Amino acid sequence: MRHFGPEDRLTRTEDMLSTELDQETVLMSIDAGAYYGLEGVARSIWESLATPLTFAVLVDRMVREYKVAPEICSADLERFLAEMEREGLLRVE
Amino acid sequence: MSLNAYWAYGLSIHADLVCPELPLHPEANAAPDVEIRLLAPVASVSDTLEHGYFEVRPGVFQLAVPGVGQYRVEEGKRIFIEPLADASIDKVRLFLLGSSMGALLYQRGLFPLHGSAVETDWGAMIFVGAQGAGKSTLAAQFHRSGYRLLSDDVCAVAATPEGLRILPALAQFRLCADAYGRLGSAEGARFDVDKYVVPMGEGYCPDPVPLRAIHILSDHDAEAPKIEVLRGFDRVQRLLENLYRPHYMKGQETQAALMRLAGSIAQQITLLSVARRRDAAGIEGLVSSLELVWAEQFAAATAKESI
Repeated sequence: MRHFGPEDRLTRTEDMLSTELDQETVLMSIDAGAYYGLEGVARSIWESLATPLTFAVLVDRMVREYKVAPEICSADLERFLAEMEREGLLRVE
Repeated sequence: MSLNAYWAYGLSIHADLVCPELPLHPEANAAPDVEIRLLAPVASVSDTLEHGYFEVRPGVFQLAVPGVGQYRVEEGKRIFIEPLADASIDKVRLFLLGSSMGALLYQRGLFPLHGSAVETDWGAMIFVGAQGAGKSTLAAQFHRSGYRLLSDDVCAVAATPEGLRILPALAQFRLCADAYGRLGSAEGARFDVDKYVVPMGEGYCPDPVPLRAIHILSDHDAEAPKIEVLRGFDRVQRLLENLYRPHYMKGQETQAALMRLAGSIAQQITLLSVARRRDAAGIEGLVSSLELVWAEQFAAATAKESI
């Protein structure tokens, strides 16, 4: 499984175009012809990534917003961010 | 230099070449929104564009077509054409009215869908689908049933203070050979590159029309057509999949506004998936099937609006 360090810097890739539909954010990669729908927590993570931030800051923000234990939040975030990275939505430095 | 005044996509267009595909402007002296200039022929086309044959920069779009010529579209207002010396003028117009005009629509913040549109009692109906899905053929069948055509090939959707509108364009059909044979030959028809071109004449509507529904065409084997209203995420995906030359959107100044517009269209307009059999009977039957669906879907809403 992909692990993230607290100082890993997370940035949205510039490839994605996005729009809003009902309670959903829809992302489109013109180059890949791929589409993604983000709802709820996923949408809120995507919005947090509007300005680049570190993994530690993101965990902290989600822990406060969703009142979850840091270890659980951290593991869930790692899974989700790894998927975003695989799909080319996220750059990690 | 002769000047030709046309009217398409709600724009007054002045061109120094003759474009029989475009409807004439009722007032030849109207100030132009768009100017099209045919420049002196060139010996070769650029091979240094970012994506090979095209390049998008804010306010400037460039296209290089081997064997035809190169095009430069500026700020949604000007198109310059440099043809190759031996290029056929029909092909030069094909890439002017297709790709270059598509890029111009993106620059102007209009949403170009790849499809055909007809005017109905309920508003404008657009038909989109993959290459060869039968968009023009179905529109031509509606035309034969007495409907006025709004557009063929590229449908421009605009957000106006009154709501979403389709801006009519192109006073002709481009039909593949078997559809042309089936629908019967028409006066003034000619063969152009790979399709039969049939002028619409009186069957064309030049005014903006409220957009009511977008139909995504596909094939299936069953005799009866299957028509379903799309919900959720699918709507915006299917809409974006049917953009005209989607690669021309990325890098435009209007890109973010166009994506918001995609969201509004998906939200406000009914999207229908339409699967039907691809034979003559299937196409004729589809006109009446769609008329029934529209009456069912939109009669109540229209009645409500008129109270």
